[in-house]
Amino acid sequence: MALVEISNVHKSFGEVEVLRGIDLAVEKGEIVTIIGRSGSGKSTLLRCINGLEQINGGEIRVAGEQVHSRSTDLRKLREHVGIVFQQFNLFPHMTVERNITLAPVLTGKITKGAAARELALKVLAQVGLEEKVDAYPGQLSGGQQQRVAIARCLAMSPDLMLFDEVTSALDPELVGEVLKVMEDLATQGMTMILVTHEMNFARNVASKLVFMHAGMVHEEGRPADLFANPATPELANFISSVR
Amino acid sequence: MLQLNFNQLWRYQDEFLHGVSLTLMLTLVATVAGLAIGLVCATAAGSRFAALRLLVRSYVEVIRNTPALIQLFLIFFVLPYAGLRLPPVYAAAAALSIYMGAYATEILRGGLASIPRSQIEAGQCLGLTRWQVFRHVILPPALRNIYPSITSQIVLLLLGTSLASQVSASELFHAAAFVESRTFRSFEVYAVVCAIYFTLVLAFRLAFVGIGRIAFRWPTGR
Repeated sequence: MALVEISNVHKSFGEVEVLRGIDLAVEKGEIVTIIGRSGSGKSTLLRCINGLEQINGGEIRVAGEQVHSRSTDLRKLREHVGIVFQQFNLFPHMTVERNITLAPVLTGKITKGAAARELALKVLAQVGLEEKVDAYPGQLSGGQQQRVAIARCLAMSPDLMLFDEVTSALDPELVGEVLKVMEDLATQGMTMILVTHEMNFARNVASKLVFMHAGMVHEEGRPADLFANPATPELANFISSVR
Repeated sequence: MLQLNFNQLWRYQDEFLHGVSLTLMLTLVATVAGLAIGLVCATAAGSRFAALRLLVRSYVEVIRNTPALIQLFLIFFVLPYAGLRLPPVYAAAAALSIYMGAYATEILRGGLASIPRSQIEAGQCLGLTRWQVFRHVILPPALRNIYPSITSQIVLLLLGTSLASQVSASELFHAAAFVESRTFRSFEVYAVVCAIYFTLVLAFRLAFVGIGRIAFRWPTGR
């Protein structure tokens, strides 16, 4: 059974149908990048996976559990599914340590104090920012904030991480440090689904590439194959436009 | 020619002191109760139940668009007909709390609305409960955003406690009227009382600045 099973998912915002029957399976340990033009439904699909958006048809299962079922405890599910946002969404009034340990402490995974600090330092080491443990988000650069956001996610030891255009709000010179962290995670075997415009990452790190077009999965396969031999003119056009 | 004479006022020290303490007490009670009312109502104002929203809306509009003095009179003079007879100080505390509550509701509602949806989502995505998101993610930055308006409102409330004198609660302004009736030194009495109010407000404002510095240390901006 795949870790994430998406079958025939439909989603509309008012009159506009943004997802028109999505099927996708993500195995444990896979790194899936979703590419496509803006408005193709990439981010919406990602937000559906952890229940941030309701769906109008079909179903999404994560680790066998149906995300949009009434009986599902979304909070429990989200403890296993981390998401990193384009705008970081760190809590400005908390230090880096508190940002990272808030959820593990409140959900009872660890206790406040020494254990919390230890956890914060451990995940900060993974993103190379131990020295910022006592800083506030407002004192960090965009790239550093995004790395802290990734660390905050890691502190919940998720089984799956979602990345929603995490480098799009960064200055160009800060993109590299964030991508580096994500590559490290990929090598460590984290299951990741990314919506991204970073074609190099999609080409070199991802194990699967998904091209979305008009609310559907238009093509999917190994990145090398898709980049070299796009089967449809839409993907060929897209690749040449972002190159 | 006006002859100023403050000497006679000295022996009324106790009246003034008692007045100050009741003024502070009324301010404290109405602040705490008003903020509590405000927090409940501000949350209810975002409820999905239309009846609840309408109820809060009506409360806020009625209180903010009528004189506080009349609200006080209603509680002190009219409620007894309904079987609820409150002593002056209690009536004043109740009226001022209800009054403060309406303004606090509006201020807090604005504060809660000032927190971006993305912050709430980030909290939810970390597996926090609705209450945890409210308490840890929304409330602290919301309080910072409204801190200037809420502290101004508390100062207005402090000055507004003088209304309580009208139902013979012996706060500072009531003490002034009493001393004036004994000494006939109107100008001196009200000059002194004015200076006392001014000093109190100054002390409040300094305290608010200090509290703000300690409570809201995180850097703003991006």
